[in-house]
Amino acid sequence: MPEKKLTKEDLYFIDFPKRIKSIQKEMAKNNIDVYLGTRLRTLSWTLDAFCPWRSYIVIPPEGLPTAITFVIDAARVADESWLDQDHILGYGPMGGQDQISLLQMLIKPHLKSGKGIIGMETGMGTYLPEGHLTLFEFVMLKAALPKATFKNAHIIVDKLSMIKDEGTINRFREASRIVDIGHKAVYDALKNSDFTELTETEIAGLAAYAMRKAGSEWEWSFTGGNEIASGYRTGLAAGACTPATRKKLKIGESLMVDLHAMFKCGLGDHSHNYFLGKATRRQLWHARNFVDLINKVLGAYKPGITPSRLADEMLAFAEERGFQDYLVPGFEHGIGMMGDEWRIGLNDGPFDYWTNPDHVYQKNEMLICAVQYACPEENIGFRYENPILITAKGCEALSKFPLSIDVI
Amino acid sequence: MPEKKFEYLSKEWADEVLRRCRKELTPEKMKHITSSMLTINTRCPDGKTRAVFYSLKNGNIESISIVEGALPKAEFTITADYDQFARISRGELKARAALMSGKMMLKGNLVKALTLSPTVDRLNEVIATIPTEF
Repeated sequence: MPEKKLTKEDLYFIDFPKRIKSIQKEMAKNNIDVYLGTRLRTLSWTLDAFCPWRSYIVIPPEGLPTAITFVIDAARVADESWLDQDHILGYGPMGGQDQISLLQMLIKPHLKSGKGIIGMETGMGTYLPEGHLTLFEFVMLKAALPKATFKNAHIIVDKLSMIKDEGTINRFREASRIVDIGHKAVYDALKNSDFTELTETEIAGLAAYAMRKAGSEWEWSFTGGNEIASGYRTGLAAGACTPATRKKLKIGESLMVDLHAMFKCGLGDHSHNYFLGKATRRQLWHARNFVDLINKVLGAYKPGITPSRLADEMLAFAEERGFQDYLVPGFEHGIGMMGDEWRIGLNDGPFDYWTNPDHVYQKNEMLICAVQYACPEENIGFRYENPILITAKGCEALSKFPLSIDVI
Repeated sequence: MPEKKFEYLSKEWADEVLRRCRKELTPEKMKHITSSMLTINTRCPDGKTRAVFYSLKNGNIESISIVEGALPKAEFTITADYDQFARISRGELKARAALMSGKMMLKGNLVKALTLSPTVDRLNEVIATIPTEF
């Protein structure tokens, strides 16, 4: 039985028709006749459904949009989306039903005599499942609609999705609550069992089980779901990506537990760190540096601050304490509904499709505070990640699992 | 006495299709569906385009008619050369295989079309039993 559609009274309600109207308003301002969205973040933000297969949304100048996804998943997407099955079509390898034929059919009525401007989403991403229009798709569409002009227009969705509404924030809060349940399960397993029998993949799995029981839809991160690292893997040089391996946990090593949960396309992402069994004085020095730094970072986020100002402050602190060599110099990454994981703000920085270091944070913007401490020569490292909501005077860390590096 | 053959896409052929389908395809067999389908046969032997319009209500076959000129609206429109439809009507080719070869074009919601395709196959199986002259 499908879950009921949300009403305005629901905690997680998002006004999707309003989002579409806001896109249409921007389309009109930019003389765009029809918008073709292909990025995963655009699909989540407009459909309220996770689209794991190549999907498209065609937004007309007025009225309801129509999405297209792989036919094997179209009925499920329609079941979850606010749009009905007449507005979620399936594509497949059949005459008239392939991607290009369907897109042409949906786009053409909005072009006068075949002429007009099609807004598309292209660019470059560090995030593999970004979903920009491919060159092949572009060439085929250009051939099918030869008189149309294509204009890169993703900035419309980027701008509109930057400040989070209440329903989105609440979905992220719930995803973070679920992640905390995953962390509790890992903590209990480490505390109450012979952890030397556990592997990184088992830690990832038992956290996943606890989070799924609590309602998580999946461990959404493309970096291998729950990222678990132990021993030398926690301190890989300049590293901040650790899909779990079959490595067994060992006494005296550090353990990094980076969990991901999804709730209605809202994302939880929180890392917690441990020392297994014991810790040396030197290891505890590293731990204190890290925890103090995180507290400092969390105290710094507020409207008006920029990533570069924050980095300067944190690197100065690290230098003062003598651990600057171990700090990976980045303190955040972007976050939004599923598929919006990397760049912060708009594409307006000195390097195309990277965060603008001078981006000025505003109230109700969200980011992942992401700090990686790595000391490869001592085989030790820690990671902190937590969804941060910029509030009127500071920030709210959505994951509430106590910040510490536990010796367990 | 040789068996009477119906000329493909003639009014007599369409009437025979309707008669046999009504006799053999109960509303239960037709899953009580309400839908309409237009099969557009291009490049007929005389160079013309002819369409067959099928209309179903609650699994009852309401009408099957030959259309020339202005085409009625249907939930599903399938367009292909006469030869492709002739092969389907002779039972030599499955509609799904024809669609997947790209020689046949479907207009309409693919999810719904796939749901209805076993029912359409039943219809085609009945059509294939009609002695037809192509």
